[in-house]
Amino acid sequence: MAIRDDLITQITTNLSSYTNFKVSSELPFDSGGNSLYLKNKRTVYVDDLSEEQIQLYRTIDQGTVYQTETIVEAFLTVDAKNQPTDIEDVIQAILNAKSVVTDTQSNEAIVASDIEDDYVTYTFEYTILKT
Amino acid sequence: MAVINVTNGTQAILTLGNTSSLAEPGAAGGLVVPFVQDITVNATPGTVRYSTLDSTSSSAFTTVNENGISLNLLVDETVFFGEAGNTTNSVAAQGLFDTSVNKDEIFFSVAVTGTGTTGDINISGKGFIGGLAPTASIDGAVFLSPCEIIVNGELTKNVES
Repeated sequence: MAIRDDLITQITTNLSSYTNFKVSSELPFDSGGNSLYLKNKRTVYVDDLSEEQIQLYRTIDQGTVYQTETIVEAFLTVDAKNQPTDIEDVIQAILNAKSVVTDTQSNEAIVASDIEDDYVTYTFEYTILKT
Repeated sequence: MAVINVTNGTQAILTLGNTSSLAEPGAAGGLVVPFVQDITVNATPGTVRYSTLDSTSSSAFTTVNENGISLNLLVDETVFFGEAGNTTNSVAAQGLFDTSVNKDEIFFSVAVTGTGTTGDINISGKGFIGGLAPTASIDGAVFLSPCEIIVNGELTKNVES
């Protein structure tokens, strides 16, 4: 959970100057089958992490070095027709939170958008590789 | 007939020492090189080829054997750079790096089929450590290095009794 907590803390810090946006640490963020980020616009919800251990090296004496790939998703929904003027900066601020996790091989973050009805949902995916 | 399976962690183990007894497989005080990814025993007779006017193919005769051990390993800090308090085995005390730099002759064995069981086979000899080239990258995450033992003399097959 530490990586998720670190990301929430960093996203909160990065968005501190964007007063119209909030960050929720709530889990699960689902109510009656509906995601809360659809209901609570301009609030970033960070999902629980998923981890995969990949064998990086295996040696003859049965020594093994593992690489852990951690993926955390975050969601943000805003009005599609009247998007906040600073949405590009907000997206960058959320992506930049990836650097909070240290002692890693790589920290990557991507964002995808999905428009439905009159709102747009941004899905952020952080991928952290550690050994 | 049977292949030699190396998947249980006790075969293909390289042991080093400043004496032949320390370098025997399973010897107390022997330096077992950990985290070996692959190991190759090269036992190659030298040859000279020559041609004669009455033959359409070349002929050959053997000269001296040129033997060597080559391996790739993940760098273990203690084994690579030495264990200062080790008074039993100077190879362990100095580590692979200083032993190579100092050009000290070492003894070695490769436990081909393991050790501790009658009939276990190992290959032993003496030589010099060389070919160290520790490499690090962020993708690789850890230091890796090739290593070779330039064998001084002959390789010997030993069978535990």
